[in-house]
Amino acid sequence: MKEILRITIGLTISCLIAAFVMGSVFTVTNKAKRHNEHMDLQNTMLGLLGYSKSHPAPPDLKLHPVYRYIIEDGEARYLGYMVPVRKNGKEVYELLVVDLEGKLRERSGLNISPEQAIELSERETALQEVLKPPKRFHYADSFIVATLGKQRLAYLLPGEFPGFKTFIRVMLALSPSFEITGLEILEQEEDPGLGGEIVQDYFKNQFVGKSFKKLKALKVVKKPLPEEYRRYLEREKYKDETFTKDQIEQIQQKYRDADIYALTGATISSKAVTNGVKNVVKKFAYREKMLERIMTQERVLAAF
Amino acid sequence: MATTKTNSQLVINGLLNENPIFRLALSMCPAVGISTTVRNGLMLGIAVLFVQVCSSCTIAAIKNYIHPRIRIPTYTLTIATWVTVIDLLLSAYFPVAYKAMGIFIKLIVAFAIITMRLEVFACKNPVGKSFWDGLGMGLGFLFGMVTLGFIRELLGMGTLLGHDVLGFKPLLFFALPLAGFFCVGFMMAVFNYVEIVFNRMKKKRG
Repeated sequence: MKEILRITIGLTISCLIAAFVMGSVFTVTNKAKRHNEHMDLQNTMLGLLGYSKSHPAPPDLKLHPVYRYIIEDGEARYLGYMVPVRKNGKEVYELLVVDLEGKLRERSGLNISPEQAIELSERETALQEVLKPPKRFHYADSFIVATLGKQRLAYLLPGEFPGFKTFIRVMLALSPSFEITGLEILEQEEDPGLGGEIVQDYFKNQFVGKSFKKLKALKVVKKPLPEEYRRYLEREKYKDETFTKDQIEQIQQKYRDADIYALTGATISSKAVTNGVKNVVKKFAYREKMLERIMTQERVLAAF
Repeated sequence: MATTKTNSQLVINGLLNENPIFRLALSMCPAVGISTTVRNGLMLGIAVLFVQVCSSCTIAAIKNYIHPRIRIPTYTLTIATWVTVIDLLLSAYFPVAYKAMGIFIKLIVAFAIITMRLEVFACKNPVGKSFWDGLGMGLGFLFGMVTLGFIRELLGMGTLLGHDVLGFKPLLFFALPLAGFFCVGFMMAVFNYVEIVFNRMKKKRG
């Protein structure tokens, strides 16, 4: 009996010490970690819009996130869009509750600033003030509208879909007419050397320039990637042998309506990305159009 | 039973005589699964080195207070604590490195080599010796991972540290997990051969 007590006390004390060490390290590092994640995402987004360190973003470039929530009220389900709106020269968030047919049900202002809205927990507190129980809500996804001055520059939409092994997380950049202008793979665990090649320029850049119409019928073909196309897709790698402007335009024309060339030995990963991107864009386009229509009908002065 | 080896002998021991991957054949999972590139091998090696040294020192320092019946849970707890610490620190202050190796770090908790070193060495020796032993073992693991990564990246993808050196991919097979077994087996053979030659030379002289 004495033995058991000693073992129990010994283990409890070691666990407490370990918990204390881990807890204190967590408190010290958590802020820096959050900041890093945010900066990382910001850099990815700017990179997709074509800005980098050597070509910094202009000061009037603004990113306006729109958050989508699913709201449950008993049996009924609604969609809640948190939209940044302009009010007395300031940017505030408004919640638009839309039913599944696309009709506006409710419209209410939210007590949250754009900086606070980045945090999931802050959004939850703000939403709780408006959506009282028994209404329940949970976060679905978000998209970001980039504006340059008063002009709408692009949509940035994060997406997630199953790959060959686990989920692949991507970030897409779309022009206002839903043409793909950039694709970035954020997280993937495909086989290195095979499906892992989806992160390479020669695969992901194949999506760039595909129009919405073409995208809806986009297929994967099992043909070798033409050499000139490959060099064009990887042109950032070969800085010394840059193409002339005419050549770039010519190749762009030629492959504009080409399907996606599958990766060698990784047809499933190639198909997963193609179908995933297709679904993400199709769903987004449908939602965007609906939201746009509601906002014009209800005269919501969106910040973008 | 404390060790009689000097500090440098302990480090050499970990690197060559008792190299974790090639002589002790421990922690084969990461050796086979993760050593696809030099970069991966290097990063995991450094992380293991850190965890091994810290855990060895901790256990050596508190060895008199551990109840012998619960020593294995205590080892695991110590390793898990250090792994969490390095995981949090890296994600906060070295986001670029963390992005590349984040998923591997959490795996270190289950590495056989660290627990084995704590059981065999750190719980019987003073802190100083345990530090050098941990350093030797960590370096041995790092050396093994980088060597495997070098062979597999060069032959599998034709690159080194992400730079294209060959310009073509000689054998994609080497980038796949099963090729890890071939490389480990090959390296074990090399280590054994060197040992045989070394002993023969010693005999001739002596």
